[in-house]
Amino acid sequence: MVLDMTTDATLASHLQELRRGTVVVASLTVLRTPGYGYSLLETLSEAGFEVEANTLYPLLRRLESQGLLTSAWNTDEARPRKFYTTTDQGNAVADALRTEWSRLDEAMTDLSADSVTTPGSDK
Amino acid sequence: MTTLVDRYVFTALRRVPEQQRSDIDRELRASIDDAVDARVEAGEARDAAIERTLLELGDPDRLADSYAGRSNYLIGPELYGVWRRSLLMLLTTVLPIVVVVVAVIEVFQDDATVGTVIGAAIGAILTVGVHMCFWTTLGFWIVERTGAGKDDLNVPWTLAKLPRYEAGALSRVELGANLLWPVLVTVALVLQQFTFTDVPLLDPANWTFWWPALIVLFALKGVWAVWVYRLGRWTRPVAVVNAALSAATTAVVVYLLAADKFINPDFPGFANADVDLRGWVSLAIIIAFVLSALWDIFDVARKAERARKGVPAQVPGSGNTYSII
Repeated sequence: MVLDMTTDATLASHLQELRRGTVVVASLTVLRTPGYGYSLLETLSEAGFEVEANTLYPLLRRLESQGLLTSAWNTDEARPRKFYTTTDQGNAVADALRTEWSRLDEAMTDLSADSVTTPGSDK
Repeated sequence: MTTLVDRYVFTALRRVPEQQRSDIDRELRASIDDAVDARVEAGEARDAAIERTLLELGDPDRLADSYAGRSNYLIGPELYGVWRRSLLMLLTTVLPIVVVVVAVIEVFQDDATVGTVIGAAIGAILTVGVHMCFWTTLGFWIVERTGAGKDDLNVPWTLAKLPRYEAGALSRVELGANLLWPVLVTVALVLQQFTFTDVPLLDPANWTFWWPALIVLFALKGVWAVWVYRLGRWTRPVAVVNAALSAATTAVVVYLLAADKFINPDFPGFANADVDLRGWVSLAIIIAFVLSALWDIFDVARKAERARKGVPAQVPGSGNTYSII
């Protein structure tokens, strides 16, 4: 199937819509072990999450203000860095989000399986 | 000397709340340095690495908005509908009333001419309209930003809000128009005698009988509208009375025009024209009155007939008729 320019743009916007929110789950999951902004960015992009620095850094502060992350400055090294850690509340939220993610995945698999028949489609 | 990174960080911090600045300053610099180091390790030159890193971070103003959690819109989707409805109501209902009031007040000024009245009306439309748009939007913007009273404005939709499509009676707006019209015509009729021109346009001799008779007929049309509104439906008597009133009004006007008793013979405005301007104007008024009377009689009769047969109203453009449940 050939995708023209319009479908590309449409696809891109739908993909963005679908990916929105996954960064939150991924960040809360990764930060169960403390990490700083750039390290998290690297980990996420290596793991296959497409996220921009200008989205991630403000997001971390927002999650912190919601009580899902805590932060502490580490000044032991030459370059002081702000380390974020997922809180218990953050873990609970991440668990709930991951459960929802698997539920959606299963539902989507069921939908696309051949055995599914649409009611009324045989008429 | 300020470096590129300094300039970038300063620009972003300008639009971040003050109490967060020092923290964001340190964190953002550390993140930029980390990214630059990673690029240099991968073999890029330091200057190029800095430029690429800052380019990837993008517009510092947008980054600041993101840090501050500012929304990039005036009125969000939750309130947009309420805002639009409020503004529409103000502009289509309140604004015309204000403009009519302003125009009427202007008419009573000593030096009022047609020009100054029209000027005052246009001025009112512009000033009052702009004020309405501005203050409504400002109010909604404050509600959007503070969240105060948001739930009161955003009333949940209920089935009771569905409009009705009965081929039913006069709506309130139609009633208003039917009541306003006789008042406006009467006011115009009286005022043209005294104010608009030095010599009145319409024949003053008719004040002994015909002008008062016309005013009574116009007033009766208003009474008729109230009757239909309270009755709640179009009926045959409604159509018959309407036809009688329209026919009587038109008959009076046509008689006066045809007998050359309508326009004041002393009115100087038609004197200089080469053609028989008076005759043409009279003919035009006759045609306008007859056509609008015919349409009015037909329209009301049709509504009465539809209501009698129970034919539902038609929604324009849908090609469907919708019956009353």
